[in-house]
Amino acid sequence: MDIRLLRSSDIPLIQHANLENLPENYFMKYYLYHALSWPQLSFVAVDVSRPKKTPYDYPKIVGYVLAKMEEEPTDGVQHGHITSLSVMRTHRRLGIAEKLMRQSQLAMVETFGAHYVSLHVRVSNKAAIHLYSVTLGFDREKTEAKYYADGEDAYCMKLDLSAIRDQIQEARQAGPDAEPEDEGEPVGDVGKAGDEGKQGQDLAARPKEQKRKVKVGRALGVAGLVEKDESSAGGAAKNP
Amino acid sequence: MPQPLSTKENSLFRQVIRNYEDKQYKRGLKAAEQILKKNPKHGDTMAMKALIMNQQGKTDEAFALGKDALMADMRSHICWHVYGLLYRSQKNFEEAIKAYKSALKLEPESAQIQRDLAFLQIQMRDFAGYIQSRSAMLQARPQIRQNWTALAVAHHLSGDLAQAEKVLTTYEESLKSPPSKTDYENSEAVMYKNTIIAEQGDYERALEHLKTISRHNLDRLAVMELRAEYLAKLDRKEEAEKAYRALLDRNPDHPDYYTKLLEVVNVAADDQAARKAVYDEYVEKNPRCDAAKRLPLDFLTGDAFREAAKAYLGLMLDRGIPSTFANLKHLYVDAFKKDTLGAIAQEYLESKKSSGEKAPSNGDPPKGEGAALYYLAQHYNYHLSRDLAKAMDFVNQGLELAPKNLEFHMTKARIWKHYGNTQKAADTMDEARKLDLKDRYINTKAAKYQLRNDNSEKALELMGMFTRPDSQAGPLSDLIDMQCVWYMTEDGETQARKGNVALALKRFHLVNGFFDVWVEDQFDFHSFSLRKGQIRAYVDMIRWEDQVREHPFYSRSALDAVNLYISMHDSKSLANGVNGTDANGDDAAERKKAAKKAKKEAQKAEREAAERAAKQDPNKAKSPLDENKKKDDDPNGLKLAATEQPLVEATKFLSHLLQYSPKFIDAQLAGFEVYIRREKYLLALRCLKSALDLDASHPRVHEQLVHFRNVLNTKLASLPAKVQEVIKSEFTALDASTDLKKYNADFQAKNSNSAPHVIAAIKAKKLLGEDQSKVEKELADVLSVKGIKFEDAKEVLALLRGWRSKEVDGFKKAAAEKWPEVTAFA
Repeated sequence: MDIRLLRSSDIPLIQHANLENLPENYFMKYYLYHALSWPQLSFVAVDVSRPKKTPYDYPKIVGYVLAKMEEEPTDGVQHGHITSLSVMRTHRRLGIAEKLMRQSQLAMVETFGAHYVSLHVRVSNKAAIHLYSVTLGFDREKTEAKYYADGEDAYCMKLDLSAIRDQIQEARQAGPDAEPEDEGEPVGDVGKAGDEGKQGQDLAARPKEQKRKVKVGRALGVAGLVEKDESSAGGAAKNP
Repeated sequence: MPQPLSTKENSLFRQVIRNYEDKQYKRGLKAAEQILKKNPKHGDTMAMKALIMNQQGKTDEAFALGKDALMADMRSHICWHVYGLLYRSQKNFEEAIKAYKSALKLEPESAQIQRDLAFLQIQMRDFAGYIQSRSAMLQARPQIRQNWTALAVAHHLSGDLAQAEKVLTTYEESLKSPPSKTDYENSEAVMYKNTIIAEQGDYERALEHLKTISRHNLDRLAVMELRAEYLAKLDRKEEAEKAYRALLDRNPDHPDYYTKLLEVVNVAADDQAARKAVYDEYVEKNPRCDAAKRLPLDFLTGDAFREAAKAYLGLMLDRGIPSTFANLKHLYVDAFKKDTLGAIAQEYLESKKSSGEKAPSNGDPPKGEGAALYYLAQHYNYHLSRDLAKAMDFVNQGLELAPKNLEFHMTKARIWKHYGNTQKAADTMDEARKLDLKDRYINTKAAKYQLRNDNSEKALELMGMFTRPDSQAGPLSDLIDMQCVWYMTEDGETQARKGNVALALKRFHLVNGFFDVWVEDQFDFHSFSLRKGQIRAYVDMIRWEDQVREHPFYSRSALDAVNLYISMHDSKSLANGVNGTDANGDDAAERKKAAKKAKKEAQKAEREAAERAAKQDPNKAKSPLDENKKKDDDPNGLKLAATEQPLVEATKFLSHLLQYSPKFIDAQLAGFEVYIRREKYLLALRCLKSALDLDASHPRVHEQLVHFRNVLNTKLASLPAKVQEVIKSEFTALDASTDLKKYNADFQAKNSNSAPHVIAAIKAKKLLGEDQSKVEKELADVLSVKGIKFEDAKEVLALLRGWRSKEVDGFKKAAAEKWPEVTAFA
């Protein structure tokens, strides 16, 4: 097993793994959107033992985490979001999902200064809920009714990442590159996360927008990707 | 020259543009009509009207009007720009580029046109053009960093690394104050520059540069990995060791780090114990890490291997890790390791049996005894250690122990598959599916096994349990939307086996269409990635897209398509042949039947879709996907199947295969078959030579060699002198003076114990004009070849059917006796 960063060339087999395992599927462009917006955040587990069948075999993906940063956090707090996570049934019990998640969480803090990470999970998915809450320490924030296309509810879960933030801070101060000053927020002027220990107060106040988001993901994929005026001749005409 | 309008109409024209931008198409059209009433030949208005009509899906009318607009006003950049946009929306990027260039000539200052042109150029990999456009854009707005980065990317992709670096440096030097530490556009741009330095091979400088940027860089992992790589390349072993150890502390499950670490630590390559000790350190540090425990099995030999394997396997079986066999099977190419692993699993099983531990009765993967049974079932099911009877025995023991265990059922299904019993395999996989109705993985497997058993309807029904319930057109439509390659490929192969040429072609064309989309998908990222600033990921994507069609997802279905087109061609020429009158009747009747069935199925699907649509809540908005989707005017592939030129169609797939997967011997073999039929002898020869280079001992290479020489014997003299010359000098593998019949007979005698080679020789005999019925008889006799596999016999059956031989029934019966479990002979 190999746990490593996702590359564009992995995407066909990630899409394949997703279609094999989960009912929530995405077309290629949505994967590309993740890979090209937050290339540090998504990881794959590769079956490196697989014998080659053709000279052009691509690494067989047996697990992946597709992750992103929330682009316009309604609570004003910079945070990550898990779009999709799955591990092939044949490769369970090796802790792959946990390892993928931990790599992603670390990068969320390091690269994008995330304060927490959120995700949705089917209320019936006991194994996944166990992984998130017991193994990884996520808290259940709320239930979103009929979040999934088949009518099932979702738990919205959240994990505070301040432990990782502290760890990084410590390592920085202890390391050879030690520096006194605070690194601050990598991105712009974002609000402070909830106080330590009272994580996620502000999250609860977020409006219900998740459901719509999923549909955007599927149907329009990357609507925000194309600038409106890009495909218009009007821009040229206005500017004689 | 823009044609002048009155003030009122001018403002109307501005409104048209606004309406277009706001997607208020009806209003826009109305305003345009108003202008055209007074100025019927106003080019710009006609062009805008065309653009709006195109957005409404009236492509043909839009193009006609776009052309008229140009005729009315050749000197208008708007008309040319619209013309370019129309082509762009058709994905005809080459024509779009031409139109944009004309527009830009008339309006050199337009940033919009320049921008659009640039993205078309990079999409088409017109690097020279892209560099030119990017230079112009940079000159127009040098204060924007994106423009500098973009020019550097243009140079980089065109291969001019030094120039790319220079552009980035020029920008950096122009900065008056250093960018903020948390500016990730900067963070990424400097990392991009660093990789460009390294790509030039100057690791010393790359390392120096990395030192200056690493402290505040936001991509920690990349900094650490690059640093380790450079140190190793510069042979600074001690520092490299530290760097790789730091990476392993971060992620001990990345085998590459161990490999690199071992290259820089002071350990002899043949000192197995010392190498293992390096891994053991990490086993101790990370008890839950699999890689450190397992990887030494790759290089250990003899007793050291046995000992380590015993410890590893014992641990995995105790814990009941389902992927244990999958993670070890690559070792089976080594006969000693294969036997040792089998023996260890057997010993383990016996020790557990005597201890009398009980397996869990729920559906969890079994531990201990059950895990050992699971391992051994897979061991004997694997092609390098296959003994299906033993495999079945172990799996049945496992099922006794844990009757509700899904893994045992799955393995049993796989054993049936290897027996060739697709029926029992599909039934068993369906039992497995019923054990966990909420798991899509097992549902997928069950559907796939239905397809392998030629049951498309049941497969689609199963797939429908997990596709979107609100997809109006049903499960297939959702699978198409979600670009589900495996299903299209498997279903296409199923349809091809069933003789349903139209649907098979449809499926293979759908996969090809997915790849077209994947190529187009990059278009928006040319601008998006510059805005996002993630340049390395963008370059990585571009390089992957350049090769996207080398993916086995493409080559498999493309090869299927080519082979199907070849068989269409052959059955047509057979039908037109002298003794083909009867067969022709059969064939036509069969095709009519298939077409009728397909039509029925289409009607049924349409009815069902209508019903679903009727049930939809009218208050709920339709999903935009359904609304925007163009209706497929050939959902069942009837138009595809009606082609008069199957070989020309085949060549479209073939040229991709030969361009992107030249080392894939099946592509070269298929290429020969297409080109020899099209009498393109030089191209056929090129494929044959490639196949020879790849694997001269491949049975079909022999067949094609004989085929080619035989064709040349009659055709060479009639070819142009130049072609003759090339063929004579290039085709040396089989001399012109060879007695082909004897050569072929010798080959057959020499390979009499290999069914695939014997089959190839018999096919060659037919090509050499041997008596048809004699050849067919001999082919049917292949059953007596030592070691023949049922897969070989399936090929023989397909061949005999293709030749419409009288031997078919007799052969099938004999094969069924030899392999009673094989569904295909039943």
